[in-house]
Amino acid sequence: MAVIGIPQTQIHRLSQSKYVDSIRWLPSVSPLQQSAIVAFFDTDADSPSLEVHSLDQESKTLDLISSWVPPSRISSLKCTQAFAVASTISGSLHVFSATEAQDPSSAFRSVVAADGKGFHVGRIAGVDLMDGGSNECVSVGEDGRVNLVRVLDGSYRKVFDGNGLVSYTAVKWASPTEFVTGGCGFGLQWWDLRRPGSAVAQFKGNLEKGRTSGIIHSIDVHPSRKHTCLAGGSAGTVFAWDLRYQHQPIILSGTSNDTAAQPLSESEVWEVQYDSYTKSSMNNFSSSKLLPAMFCSEDGILGVIDQGEEPTELLAEPCAINSFDIDRQNPSEVICSLEWESIAIVSRP
Amino acid sequence: MPGLAPADSAGGGPDSVNGALVPYLPDSHVSAIYPLRHGLNPPISRVSVSWGRGNSLRVSVFRQPDSDGGEVGGKVVELTLGKSRDGEISDTQWRKIAYGSVSPFALLQSRKNSAASLSRMQLSPSPYHLEWWEYVMEYSKDISALLGDPKSVGAPLIEDPNEVFIKKSEEPSSLKAAWELMEMFYVDKLSQAWLPERLVDWLADYDSLISVDLPTVHSKLVEFQSKIVTLQVIEDDPRYWDLISSALAVGWLEIVVKLLRLHGSYRLDQLGRRETENGLVEAVAVLISKMPRMRPAIDAGKHGECFKAKPDFVKAWERWRAQITKLDSSAFWVQCDNRQTREGLKNVLQIMLGNVDVLCSATCHWMELYISHFLYIRPFTAGLESMYSLAQNCIRLKHTSNPHKLMRLMIGILGENNEVVLSECSRGFGTWMVAHAIELLTAGSNEADFLVHEERENLGGISLEELHRLVYAQLLSSHLLTWQIAPIYLTSCMRQGMGMLEILLLKQPVQENQVLLKNLEICRLYELDGVSSRLMEISGMYHWKHGRKGCAVFWLQQAQDEVRLSKIASQLFESVGKSISGESFKQWEGLIELLGSEGQPAGGLDFLHKYRDFKKCLQHADSKKDADAARQAVESLMSLMRNASTPQRFWLPILYDAVKLLSWDKRPLINVSQTNLLLNKLQELSLARLRPDFVEPELPTHALNHVRYSLATNLGRAILEES
Repeated sequence: MAVIGIPQTQIHRLSQSKYVDSIRWLPSVSPLQQSAIVAFFDTDADSPSLEVHSLDQESKTLDLISSWVPPSRISSLKCTQAFAVASTISGSLHVFSATEAQDPSSAFRSVVAADGKGFHVGRIAGVDLMDGGSNECVSVGEDGRVNLVRVLDGSYRKVFDGNGLVSYTAVKWASPTEFVTGGCGFGLQWWDLRRPGSAVAQFKGNLEKGRTSGIIHSIDVHPSRKHTCLAGGSAGTVFAWDLRYQHQPIILSGTSNDTAAQPLSESEVWEVQYDSYTKSSMNNFSSSKLLPAMFCSEDGILGVIDQGEEPTELLAEPCAINSFDIDRQNPSEVICSLEWESIAIVSRP
Repeated sequence: MPGLAPADSAGGGPDSVNGALVPYLPDSHVSAIYPLRHGLNPPISRVSVSWGRGNSLRVSVFRQPDSDGGEVGGKVVELTLGKSRDGEISDTQWRKIAYGSVSPFALLQSRKNSAASLSRMQLSPSPYHLEWWEYVMEYSKDISALLGDPKSVGAPLIEDPNEVFIKKSEEPSSLKAAWELMEMFYVDKLSQAWLPERLVDWLADYDSLISVDLPTVHSKLVEFQSKIVTLQVIEDDPRYWDLISSALAVGWLEIVVKLLRLHGSYRLDQLGRRETENGLVEAVAVLISKMPRMRPAIDAGKHGECFKAKPDFVKAWERWRAQITKLDSSAFWVQCDNRQTREGLKNVLQIMLGNVDVLCSATCHWMELYISHFLYIRPFTAGLESMYSLAQNCIRLKHTSNPHKLMRLMIGILGENNEVVLSECSRGFGTWMVAHAIELLTAGSNEADFLVHEERENLGGISLEELHRLVYAQLLSSHLLTWQIAPIYLTSCMRQGMGMLEILLLKQPVQENQVLLKNLEICRLYELDGVSSRLMEISGMYHWKHGRKGCAVFWLQQAQDEVRLSKIASQLFESVGKSISGESFKQWEGLIELLGSEGQPAGGLDFLHKYRDFKKCLQHADSKKDADAARQAVESLMSLMRNASTPQRFWLPILYDAVKLLSWDKRPLINVSQTNLLLNKLQELSLARLRPDFVEPELPTHALNHVRYSLATNLGRAILEES
């Protein structure tokens, strides 16, 4: 068990004057620098912006390094060691070099962009890029299209077109050739590029009889457990879907009849990520147990769920927490975007 | 745009003109011109204007249809009218205040409700229970912290002994000044005994605000500070003595002492020559710094000796005055040969002795004169009534034609006129202020409580409190980022709140799932299931229209909208029997899949599923000439025709589809008994055609004969095969 008491978790709230659509840590270029990429929307001027800020370690303030104006609001934002990728609500996708973005002397601009009628119609709901992967960015949209964009030249190819009969809301690479998508009705789809045409496995979202269905908002796959995906969505639902036991999802949180654990949240879970900082409490560490997961929700909770344990609450805000990101180099640091035009930085002891 | 219905009705009746509760102040009667940048080439054929969110107009500009081939036919532009509400506070800051005040407000309301339920149960509050005003005090402190830095933002300070320095940090806000004023008079019971001293502190913080056009002690100090470096002999400048008197009159003792110590007689080279003079200056400075003050404590770095109990204070006050009188009549004055010093110091002593004429000439604004009265003439609280008449006297002496909004509020408070206080709050400081300050006003006064909670006929039966909350909620609803806060205020309104909440939620855009989900979450919190289904239906239709059928069916199913779902299902029936192929078949098939994923919401889906299977096998068999697929198709066909749920009107189209199977090249696929069944069905159909309500399917005219011929042929082939 972790040492109880001092030193405590520190929380810094940074008030902004714009709505924060999404926020991610950027990989540090030097050990002393910590920067974040933030998608803003200025409601007064009706203009979106994508900004890179460096975080002052002492005062915990953000300093603007560079800024770029996207064609419309950012709908999804992801970062890897080398790239940052952003998609917009008007259906374009932009890739940035992560190191160039943090260099004030170089112009912050997208190295590659994809858009047009053949790409996506309307909002791109999710994008993902993989470290050490195929250097292809996968994008999914409410229009039911799944596309792959080559990071090198921006050319794209269609993996699937659902013609609006399906709407995808989230996507995550599982391996260089496999990825998972999520959508309405708690549906999850497993795709394998070696077997094109359609998804190789589908989860229809029958989590439990009689409960209302919902939408998947976020998916995560841990690099060491590629057969299991973690998904978060409506009604405080966080569950894991194991490809080996496709009909038995493991519900980690949600409004279930199981009264053993009171869920931290009953509203929309906007984002889930595996939390490498929280050490699993089980001594007899077995591979069947799920790794601890962090989530943020519409009712203002940032919490960690460890299978078989009481969930812990890191942050309880009076407004929604719309996105968060765990710093990969320094996983004690979590950055969140809050509904009331502010950013919170949680530093765990 | 949500209408300001209660506010309108308040201003609408003839009897409410003088009692306008939410006054409408037209800023000017000059028409404003807003340039519209639509970027379209003329000719413009039509312009349509409608209200957007808040104070923005949505202007749709249309060009002449097909006047120019390749160009866009029109554009919709948003035009924001007017400027931000208050020049002093930007929109961003207003939003911050709005966000920050949600939690204190909600906490106070829940405490109010639990206190009310306790008193209903007639339980005596526990001994650990705080008094109500203490809860309001906590609320007031939370709100006050939002409005600016906690203490003395623009307070005059001297940092360098050679330079009077007034901190030029951010301007103090009049909103905070007003809030503190109300807290001081209505909530803070502990400070009632030293109200005059609190007013002294208040003026020290906000003196720069109280006058727009006329000078104040603060503005004089700021002006002198810029000149101080250029002065060689400071005590020869009349402004120096003038300022010392002014600053002393309003009680800024530390500034006075620092200023006195800038006196030339302190300089080492002159100390010898001007010993007596210096002694007098120092004596006055010491007396000033020892001034007795009726207050519990004083900030570090400020002068004066504090007394909590009145008798102690009176004793010290008498002693202090005696010392001043003694110094005033001392023989040292004759030995002081610097006239300016002598006169200046004498004037200072007169202020300390409370000489009304000197006080009046030392101060600029009536509020400053008023404060000087408390400091040097009547240092005790003597009830609001006498404070009010004193204020009236001061105003008479220092009349201003255009009083600042803070001063209007002050007069309202001193005059114990709650209506005036409310209307000044709303007029001078806006809807946020009035909605939140009502809690302060009613903290300790039954009279005010009655005023704001009385249900009024002319407001449609709602109280003033509810009215102001509703108006504030309207303001919140008009902005993209603050509408989510409005429910907190609306649900605290007993009569109209829930109704307006429903309207607000239904007016929110549903195009984006994220916004819709935030909206649905509010519905869930307030148990507005009806509104939430309605929103899901609207969203479903929106997605349907934009071709996102999957999303649409999902939302319609969530809303349990049987009507629309069965309408969609019945549209699918129309394709039965028609030759659909390729993409459209995929769409059709996908939709059946979507609809079928949840129970049986639409009747006849079972049939559609079977028909889909049949059609699929048939296509497969047809394209690949695959006997297995053909046999499967036959099975589907038979199960369709045997099933009672298959509507009669589809029999012929299905049989017509089956002609391909009947005329299968190699060998008959349908055996004798199966063929007989089909023939029976055909017979039944022929009889049904005689009925007047029979609807003829849209098929080629020869279809029936064709089917009949094929069946007969097949029967023959099957008999041969089986025999």
